[in-house]
Amino acid sequence: MAQLATIAPYTAYKPRPFTRDQRGKTTILYGGLTWKHERLMQGALHNLKYNAEPLPNIARDDLDAGKELIDTGACCPTIFTTGSLVNFLKKEVAAHGKDQVNDKFIYLTAGACGPCRFGQYHESYSMALDGLGLRDFRLFLLAQDELDQGPANGGGLEINMPMSLGLIWSILCGDLLVDLEYMTRPYEVNPGQTDAVLKDSVEYMYEVFLHRPDRGKKYGTLAWHLMSNYFTKALREVRKKWDAIEVDHLRVKAKVKVTGEFWLQTHEGDGNYNIKRWLEQEQSEVVPPPVAVWLHYLLHPEIRKLEHRNSKSKHPQMQQMALQALEKIYRGTYNRFRKALANLPNELPDQVELKQLAEPFYHFELRGGEGHMLIGKALHAYHHKKAHMICELSPYSCMPNTMSIGSMANVLGKYPDLLYAPIEVKGDAEVHALSRCQMILTEAKKRAQAEFEDVMKKTGLTVDAIRKYEARHPEVKRATYKVPHLGYAGMAANYITHLARCGVGNA
Amino acid sequence: MRFPTLPTWFAKKLSVASPVKVKDRSQLRVGIPKVLNIWTTAQFWVGFLKALGVSSENIIFSSDTSEEQGREFGKGRGTVDCCYPVKCISGHYGELIFGQKKKINVLFSPMIHTLPSLLHGHVVDTITCTRVMAGPESIKAGFMKERDIFTENGIVYASPFVSLGDRHMVVQQMHDSLKDVFDLDLEETNLAVQAGFEALDAFTAKARQQSRDILNWCAQNQKPCILVLARPYHMDTGIGHEIEAELQAHGFPILWLQYLPGDGDLMNWLFEEDMRSGRIKSPFDISDVWTSSYSSNTNEIMWGAKFASRCPWITCVIRLSSYECGMDQPTYTPTQKIVEASRTLFFKFGDLDSTKPAGSIKIRVETVVHYMAKYSQEIMRSKLARLSPQCPLGPLQAPASSLPESEVPAGLHADNPPAVSAAS
Repeated sequence: MAQLATIAPYTAYKPRPFTRDQRGKTTILYGGLTWKHERLMQGALHNLKYNAEPLPNIARDDLDAGKELIDTGACCPTIFTTGSLVNFLKKEVAAHGKDQVNDKFIYLTAGACGPCRFGQYHESYSMALDGLGLRDFRLFLLAQDELDQGPANGGGLEINMPMSLGLIWSILCGDLLVDLEYMTRPYEVNPGQTDAVLKDSVEYMYEVFLHRPDRGKKYGTLAWHLMSNYFTKALREVRKKWDAIEVDHLRVKAKVKVTGEFWLQTHEGDGNYNIKRWLEQEQSEVVPPPVAVWLHYLLHPEIRKLEHRNSKSKHPQMQQMALQALEKIYRGTYNRFRKALANLPNELPDQVELKQLAEPFYHFELRGGEGHMLIGKALHAYHHKKAHMICELSPYSCMPNTMSIGSMANVLGKYPDLLYAPIEVKGDAEVHALSRCQMILTEAKKRAQAEFEDVMKKTGLTVDAIRKYEARHPEVKRATYKVPHLGYAGMAANYITHLARCGVGNA
Repeated sequence: MRFPTLPTWFAKKLSVASPVKVKDRSQLRVGIPKVLNIWTTAQFWVGFLKALGVSSENIIFSSDTSEEQGREFGKGRGTVDCCYPVKCISGHYGELIFGQKKKINVLFSPMIHTLPSLLHGHVVDTITCTRVMAGPESIKAGFMKERDIFTENGIVYASPFVSLGDRHMVVQQMHDSLKDVFDLDLEETNLAVQAGFEALDAFTAKARQQSRDILNWCAQNQKPCILVLARPYHMDTGIGHEIEAELQAHGFPILWLQYLPGDGDLMNWLFEEDMRSGRIKSPFDISDVWTSSYSSNTNEIMWGAKFASRCPWITCVIRLSSYECGMDQPTYTPTQKIVEASRTLFFKFGDLDSTKPAGSIKIRVETVVHYMAKYSQEIMRSKLARLSPQCPLGPLQAPASSLPESEVPAGLHADNPPAVSAAS
């Protein structure tokens, strides 16, 4: 009689422990943000005596490497990030062998976000590890919503207050630098100066995070992070560096707010066809999406309500109040940092307003991805004239994004003059995506030009008069000169209105 | 003796003292698009509406999905390209709005956040897919982008956000979103929600018992059956394309994972070894195979795969998956590996879309039938050998004699799985 042989039952990937004594000879790999964020995070991790290294920036090759090893039909962020890890490990294995790679590195990634595929990325990573024959490689998940997760999987990685606060603070500072970068580069007089100052600033802030003082493991460190002027002082130094950049705010640029799926909107590189740089080349000013908005969303008590539906807490109201206080502190901290940078970086949008704006079109309790925020952000930019157009980056087959893009049809029906470019990103269809974006961008540029001409007419100013004023007041040509938002989306229109109010025409 | 206390004195007397008066809603016609998770929760909605006084004949479900339905009623209403089970909802909305001889008054399309599940308490959560949850918002946009088609047709659009998996939240959620639509008060809502859950629970229990009866019959007769591993909307003939019906026509009983029996005796028998070895804590624990257990239907697919790999009479699993399904995508390999670990046959019908590929389905069905006929007895024997003889389905008839040794394919002797895992 034929007897069927038994196969070992399928078992989900579980990492080997990472013990405390392995910390000195093990490197934590991470990625998924911009190089600026990642460098500052490295400072925070080095400060805690971890060896840490961001994965190389995503490249086109990563798409192919990812596709080879995971199930078909994945969204492009899953494929790109898996491919990035795969390519890095392949190189290391070729140089040092599998055993050494298994022992030398661990990969730390965000997870546990619920229904979207983002919460299941690690399934793809583990499948890729199987494909590479690296089942013993260690991959750990960092929950996004807990500051103190304790020692995980052997105690080598201690996700405690100093680590979480260090990482969050580095993300906030990274966001602020990114904001400065994108609002300065399109107007820089000396090409390349913004990038050079940016690099210098990031390195300076890396040192700041590296030398962050030790204030204990729990409340001492929390109090210090909230009250210390350590970071604001450092950011004021950064501001001085940016003072040196000369800008020309008379350049007419279409202001493009980038929104979309978290990874795709944050990323700078082949993963989204380098679309932010491309937009700048196409005479636009990009409003980049800060990671801080996502963290703010996660903190918002209204949004979190559902997640506490099965809370076993004896004091749910206290918990709710604590969350409200935490949200205020978070926003306050971000604003404190902004102030140190002359309030140049954009303010975080009010989450309640985003919810209210989106409410008729997308229920705020629909979780997954950015939820209602994509609609809320688009309408926020429209109503407050923060941008001429919205460029929404959506991965092919992204589950939550497709739903909010669908709902945007209703928004556009109500606001037909809202310029909205939903760009589906597959990773290998650059021309198609960029040409689609260009169609809307052309209209945005026309609007920016019309706005400029309208303001010139209204104020009666001439370019000559403004140039003369600038020559007498060189401070207005500094990158750190705050041009107030005076009801126009474009920088040039706001600048001219501001100068008119300063009495330029009367000079 | 119990002494009365303030809370008991002042406690609100419910229906006994002042019976809730149901308002007359008998003439109200409510249309429900028969899509997505409505396939496993329909009894709740019917029970709820009937308890509110809506008469049965005035609860109208749209037809099964079809390309004609989409062409006739959904044309020009699509707002985004996504998976077909969500995209096709435009046709369902359109049919309810434009395709009824007697107009409906309310188009009722719930946004279901969580689902009741056998695995509740054993998994992280029972949330629905983000597209499934948000689908009504996206589809609604197609009927409002130019003009408000609902209002033009005298229809009230009602789309409650509801967590059916968290029963303590449902009354408030339903009341908040439907109070103006149906002129509801809280107590009335409470009773209607209770009636809805009673109807749903009764139906689910009956369906599970029927699945157990099928397994019982298979055990007594040593006959194989097929498990369909799919999402609820694959029961829709226009989405699942009746693949399981084609197989049933060949004489194989069909089980759907949504209605597998979860009785303690059967569970303990099937998962005895896993629990004894500490691999899992309960028969409903899927943490050994799937750690991101947030999504209700994904969790159940994983559990169904485990059930199938252990249950002797399920000798074949049919995996259905729609084109661009982001929830299914990370599960393709794990489910196949779970099922094939016990040499159970696994066939995947993937990337299902609007058009029924009748020719290729026919060929695949023939392949399934061939392998079922050839290997089922061996698979049953092998799986039974790994389980305790104390089968809760009663004393078993000995399986039919196996194929002669010479006819057993090499793959069945070796450590490699048989080459019939025709996943596509």
